[in-house]
Amino acid sequence: MMFALTVARRYLLSNPAQTALLIAGVALGVTAFVFITALIEGLAIRLTADVTANSSHVSLEQEVRVARVLPGPAVNVQSVALVSTFQRRQIRAWGPTVALLRSQPLVSAISPQISGNAFLVKGEAVAPLAVTAIEPSALDAISPITTKLIGGDADLGADGLLIGAQLADNLGLSPGQPVLFRTDRGVDRLLTVRGIFRTGLLNLDERVAFLSIRTARPLFRLPEGMTNIEVKLHDPGQARAFAAFLRDATGLRVTSWQERNTTLEGALFAQAQTGTLIQIFSLISVLIGIASALSLSANRRRGEIGIMGAFGVSRRFIAAVFVLQGLLIGMVGAGIGCLTGFALCSWLATLTKADGSMILPIAASQGRYLTVFALTTLGAVLASVIPARSAARLDPLEAIQQ
Amino acid sequence: MSIVLDARGIGMSFRNGDELTEVLKGVDVTLQSGELAALLGASGSGKSTLLSIIGLLLRPTTGSITIAGQRVDALSETDRARFRNQRLGFIFQFHHLLPDFTATENVAFPAAAPAGRMTSAMRQRARDLLDRVGLADRMDFPATRLSGGQKQRVAIARALMNNPALILADEPTGSLDRLAADKVLDLMKEVNRDDKATFLICTHDESIAARCARRIMVKDGRAEQVRTQQQLELRG
Ligand SMILES: Nc1ncnc2c1ncn2[C@@H]1O[C@H](COP(=O)(O)OP(=O)(O)O)[C@@H](O)[C@H]1O
Ligand SMILES: [Mg+2]
Repeated sequence: MMFALTVARRYLLSNPAQTALLIAGVALGVTAFVFITALIEGLAIRLTADVTANSSHVSLEQEVRVARVLPGPAVNVQSVALVSTFQRRQIRAWGPTVALLRSQPLVSAISPQISGNAFLVKGEAVAPLAVTAIEPSALDAISPITTKLIGGDADLGADGLLIGAQLADNLGLSPGQPVLFRTDRGVDRLLTVRGIFRTGLLNLDERVAFLSIRTARPLFRLPEGMTNIEVKLHDPGQARAFAAFLRDATGLRVTSWQERNTTLEGALFAQAQTGTLIQIFSLISVLIGIASALSLSANRRRGEIGIMGAFGVSRRFIAAVFVLQGLLIGMVGAGIGCLTGFALCSWLATLTKADGSMILPIAASQGRYLTVFALTTLGAVLASVIPARSAARLDPLEAIQQ
Repeated sequence: MSIVLDARGIGMSFRNGDELTEVLKGVDVTLQSGELAALLGASGSGKSTLLSIIGLLLRPTTGSITIAGQRVDALSETDRARFRNQRLGFIFQFHHLLPDFTATENVAFPAAAPAGRMTSAMRQRARDLLDRVGLADRMDFPATRLSGGQKQRVAIARALMNNPALILADEPTGSLDRLAADKVLDLMKEVNRDDKATFLICTHDESIAARCARRIMVKDGRAEQVRTQQQLELRG
């Protein structure tokens, strides 16, 4: 084997330009693989981060209670239906649930909330609102609001209200102004606009308002319960499994951020599939390159291979010479490709737009270097099997006479 | 003197489409150890075919072959290859040296490949052989940088590497000029004389054949002894 390796190396070095070109081709394919992998991983990381940075990772709420009418001899099957019990959906015993969440090391933030609908009334104008009532101390726990304030402050106090910039515009409101607040429970109260935020998302800036839980309780006629508990995790990737755990532990309806963003999931999946396809094609082109280069070499060296055969050099030795050439090309090409791929991705990651964000959301550390190195090396060996077999099967006499 | 080669009743037919060409029709060849024999005949008479059959590169249609006391015609492909490696040496019209290796490495190749490595003992033997064929000053030359005659001398050294019982040469001087051809034959005769190496040399060159102690003529699918002038005189 040692000597077969010597011969393989000698063959590759015999035409350095051609070998360099072949290795460059392999390296290029591997670089493409690394680039596309890092880009797709980076995109997924960025999209996921964008979504998870400004929303909760796990939401808990009360299950909708339904009464089932069981079919029986007296009941027509057609009349079997799910019937709501028309109870208020609230988490009454939210204290123990919060305590449970606090004890979980995965959890990074907890925000029990009262969510409801209301209207802001100013003169003739009425604007619908999606209201989130929170502990003032947990204002930024799920999504940072304080940093998005463009007017006033985040001090909710006893009658304070935070509204979006678009809504403030629509109703001509500014910080310090009182405004009539009417809930879907039919309670009216004059609240004061304390702060105005701008998220950049129109339906948030036009529809969302924040106030403190203490203020909200009488307004939504909810003296003790919470409508939902929002949770953030250190690792958003754990949300699905953690939601399942919470479902079992609490009996509540628990939704992970993935379940709330199935279109994102679908997009990421489609993107990953596209990436896999490109990866496969770049690997296949590498393998075809190696197979054809070695086939040409085997053909060019027919005479030599014939004389080796005449001298009784085993077929296995001749095959080994070609397989080892494939192995060397694959390893060197993949090694260089991984390095240039990493260098390229690292460089691309430093390119930023005017606002400081990356032009390409590339994750240089996610190039799957070990995978592509192993796949390319293995593939190179497999690709060299065809030329190796045809070289080993050459009839010495025919090869010499030509 | 022992018998190195005993080929009996060698018949060979080639099929070209529907046509069956009988090239050899029962050839007997026997060589004693230390003989140097020329295989003569017109072009297309079947010399190369016979040599390839004796060299275990081609399976005959009929006949038996015994080399150095071993029946070899029924060996498996792998065993034939091993036998070629250990007991036979080949010299072809075209040297077929490995262009990416030095003269020494080319000579040592038939020993190094089966062993899996090229030992310093192999290198030393290769150098001795190159010295023997007059290439002491070309040992580390790449094969491509040698002249035609020099390459053929390297090929002779390579054929001797594994100390073969029988050396088969197919038109070894066929691509050389007169001077180089004579030198190559001189060399083979010298090795034959000094090492008692047995040679079977296939040639259509009368002047080469004339210098061989024994001559076998292939004609009409059969082999016959050609008595040299010297032998005829001895018989008186
Ligand atoms: N593989 C083959 N297939 C068919 N015919 C062959 C083959 N090899 C040799 N022959 C024929 O056998 C005859 C003898 O060839 P060869 O032994 O090469 O002659 P020589 O070496 O004496 O010139 C020629 O007619 C040649 O065409
Ligand atoms: Mg011939």
